[in-house]
Amino acid sequence: MKSLPIENIIRFVVVILLQVLLVNNMQFLGICNPCIYILALLALPVTLPRWAELLIGFATGLVMDIFCDSLGAHTAACTLISYIRPLLISRLVQDNDRLTGTPDGDSLGIATYARYVALLTAIHHIVLFSLLAFSWHNWWLTLLQIVFSTAVSIALILGWDLLIHR
Amino acid sequence: MKTLLQFLARYSIVLLFVALETVAIVLLVRNNAYQRNALLSSSNAAAASIYSVGSNIRDYFRLRQTNDILQAENTRLRDRLNRMENPTDTAGACAMNILTADRNIVFIPARVINLTTDRQRNYITLNCGRRDSVDSGMGVIGPDGVVGIVSMVSEHFATVIPVLNPGISINCKFKKNGEIGALRWDGRDYRFAELPDIARHIDVQEGDTLVTSGYSAVFPPELPVGVVEKAVLTENDAYYRIRVRLATNFRRLHYVTIIRQRHADELTTLEAARKKDER
Repeated sequence: MKSLPIENIIRFVVVILLQVLLVNNMQFLGICNPCIYILALLALPVTLPRWAELLIGFATGLVMDIFCDSLGAHTAACTLISYIRPLLISRLVQDNDRLTGTPDGDSLGIATYARYVALLTAIHHIVLFSLLAFSWHNWWLTLLQIVFSTAVSIALILGWDLLIHR
Repeated sequence: MKTLLQFLARYSIVLLFVALETVAIVLLVRNNAYQRNALLSSSNAAAASIYSVGSNIRDYFRLRQTNDILQAENTRLRDRLNRMENPTDTAGACAMNILTADRNIVFIPARVINLTTDRQRNYITLNCGRRDSVDSGMGVIGPDGVVGIVSMVSEHFATVIPVLNPGISINCKFKKNGEIGALRWDGRDYRFAELPDIARHIDVQEGDTLVTSGYSAVFPPELPVGVVEKAVLTENDAYYRIRVRLATNFRRLHYVTIIRQRHADELTTLEAARKKDER
């Protein structure tokens, strides 16, 4: 029997290292910088108190900012999705009894899970890339980055779910 | 008082959220490209050590490419050395001049342990720090030309703001006529940068070479910066629109050299004193 906290801590370490050492080195036309580390935030247990979730989101963003030399951008985006996530889950899942631990393809149903991932990833990427650019200069480049990175991130996060659970 | 406490209890999550977001935005806004918190950048010992491990692994996969680049640089240097040791084919006085001038410069070799080229603000992390007498403000060059300027330094690591960051501009001049301008990156393509302030009376041709001007304590003069790829001047323009192909290929940058000018402090102090004088 795996314990939930340890499982989550391991997941955080693994995805942050994957992000920093592997995914950040993927270079495709300068417009595709996917973020898979947010899957650790998406997979936090739904029973977690909201204040703890906010602090975890903040800390995760800060760690990513330190690695990416982009102080503030990841932090703001992660804190925002940590705030929105519980609201979104209660909106998506009517009978809360079904959902006890980690939201994933099994517990939510693959269609709902895909919507959940897509919405939060899109919000995260819109905030992140807007703050990284921090100007209207090159706005079309920022827009392209948002669209392509969001698409690839969603694919990678859903792929991770299939890989782990199927 | 009771209502206030009730209010706080009711909206505690929203308040916490707003507080954390405010901290994030303050960090973002105050995060000037030059004065950053060393702990909160990738020259931070923990973050840099992880990058170091990653780059140790990656390095094995590009040994051949790196060897080719280093060998090409060696050949170029051997060629220059040969010319300096046999000053008969150049003017003797000039060769002497180069030798004495270069005594003031110390080269510090460093390895790139992390770099990005596809962000709108890129940074490089090096495995060299204060212990190797690296300091912020020093120039960094690669085998092919200018790379950037050291920004943050920790004990064993340093972050560099490369040319590929709109936060800095590189003072450079045309090799053929010495006209100077400031090179700036526009945030798009890692191969090209722009030279916005060349006035229309100056003769600019495609293929002109740009080198460092040497008018600062950061880079010595005559280091390659890039080559003019396209120079556009329409009827009404006062300035050229110049696209410069950068000498350094940032995607293949593995080894760099940090330039430590012995009298940089003296020069900076002198210039600061003059500026104060003018005010």
